[in-house]
Amino acid sequence: MTGFHLDARVLAAYVEDRLAEVDAWSVEAHLDRCGACRSGIALDASGVRLVQTVGMVFGSRLPAQGRVRRATRWRRIRVLVGGGPAARGAWLLAVAVTGLLAAAVAVVPAVIPPWLLLLIAPALPVLGTAASYGPRTDPLHELVAGTPHGGLRIVLWRTLAVLAVTAPVAVLAGAAAGTGTPGMWLLPCVGLTALTLAFGSLVEPAHAALLVAGLWAVVVLAPMGGVTVVVSSGPVWLVVTAVAAALMYARREHVGRRAA
Amino acid sequence: MTTVSVEGLRVSYGKRVVLDGLDLELGPGVHGLLGPNGAGKTTLTRVLATVLRPDRGDVRLLGHRIDDHSGLRQARRRLGYLPQTFGFYPRFTVREFVEYFAWLKEMPPARIPLAVDRAIERVGLLDRADDRMKQLSGGMLRRAGIAQAIVNDPRLLLLDEPTAGLDPEQRVQFRALLREVGLDVVVLVSTHLVEDVVAACTRVSVVDGGRLVFTGLPDELIGTGGDSDSGDSPIERGYTAVLRGARTAPR
Repeated sequence: MTGFHLDARVLAAYVEDRLAEVDAWSVEAHLDRCGACRSGIALDASGVRLVQTVGMVFGSRLPAQGRVRRATRWRRIRVLVGGGPAARGAWLLAVAVTGLLAAAVAVVPAVIPPWLLLLIAPALPVLGTAASYGPRTDPLHELVAGTPHGGLRIVLWRTLAVLAVTAPVAVLAGAAAGTGTPGMWLLPCVGLTALTLAFGSLVEPAHAALLVAGLWAVVVLAPMGGVTVVVSSGPVWLVVTAVAAALMYARREHVGRRAA
Repeated sequence: MTTVSVEGLRVSYGKRVVLDGLDLELGPGVHGLLGPNGAGKTTLTRVLATVLRPDRGDVRLLGHRIDDHSGLRQARRRLGYLPQTFGFYPRFTVREFVEYFAWLKEMPPARIPLAVDRAIERVGLLDRADDRMKQLSGGMLRRAGIAQAIVNDPRLLLLDEPTAGLDPEQRVQFRALLREVGLDVVVLVSTHLVEDVVAACTRVSVVDGGRLVFTGLPDELIGTGGDSDSGDSPIERGYTAVLRGARTAPR
């Protein structure tokens, strides 16, 4: 990175070893720093062989690579899903809370009303997703947000990680509570998560989760018997999920990318 | 060849306007971004890192418009970014940390293991590569951050206060790395250390009050300073002269 470059004739003289030793030294000092002039050197066959030999000798002297992890597809999934301890924390919270609730309902059904379980179990992935992405909860958010896999793609990886753990727990909790078929619990679970991601393209994911959790609480606690409405409305959840997924796809580059 | 082009950039946080009508063109080389605290250096870097969406303005990175989905993704693959402050996952080792970003930057899988080691080697952390991040000192964390920024051989490298927390010897090594990286890519180094600019930068820009008030060679910045300007070195005098000129000129 210097202001001047070597004359082509000087370079040619250097390659043919026609320069005085002092001049050759200063040419080499310049070549060390200047890629443009380095690329101007034309080597003959013996020169190319020499460079290759020297490269091999130096390469074999490099310290051995540490634990090499081959970049397989499984490695990719492991790294991307396991990436956020924030996501791992959300798993633990989700599993612990839902598990405790399910156990409590099974042991003493009278203590915990089913509506409380309905309020919490499907909303857990929502909170888990929000907790695993965003400037407040992800210590690497600033770095992750500027990568091509940041935004929606990494949010989806982390949602998958959260859903993988919370959805079975929600199903189990539903079975324990005896409210509707266990599969019915999965639909609101997926629907609410999709809604969170869709809103996450408009506001911060954490705010989106609060919004969705609030809406959910209103529906469940509504005086006209929200529990029965939710449990018997499978098609509605499919529609909600589909609409949310469409919105999410349309605004995919905006998820997790805040406007100034 | 221009690889970064910014036109009429405006960014505000709520009612406070941070950048207003900023134009910037960058080609290959190491560019220093100087400015007082709060001038908008970090905001500009975050816009170029595609982390912050501007209110207004045309931003082109490596020939891609960043308001276009596929262009944004293409540009991000060739981008390296080191923020002023960043956290870490305490249980990650240095190698896992850098590998995580290699995957996030969608590098070809076959290249990842070697690229990870090479990046760690370039910042001089190879002997600590299998240590957990929480065992590293502040300067080592910063070097790990630089390693994740260069792992994908970026064509645009954005470094926000990269020398903060480095000791003098590491700072010298870091400048050598900068000069090496800057041979054929665009490097933007935001700093408030004027001596970093003299030692490592081929061009320098000064931001003040949300506008670009100077851009040129370090020697030209030195040339703007007179004996009456405050500062301990010629470039510091040039820097204060540029700021004074920008503040007295009618806006």
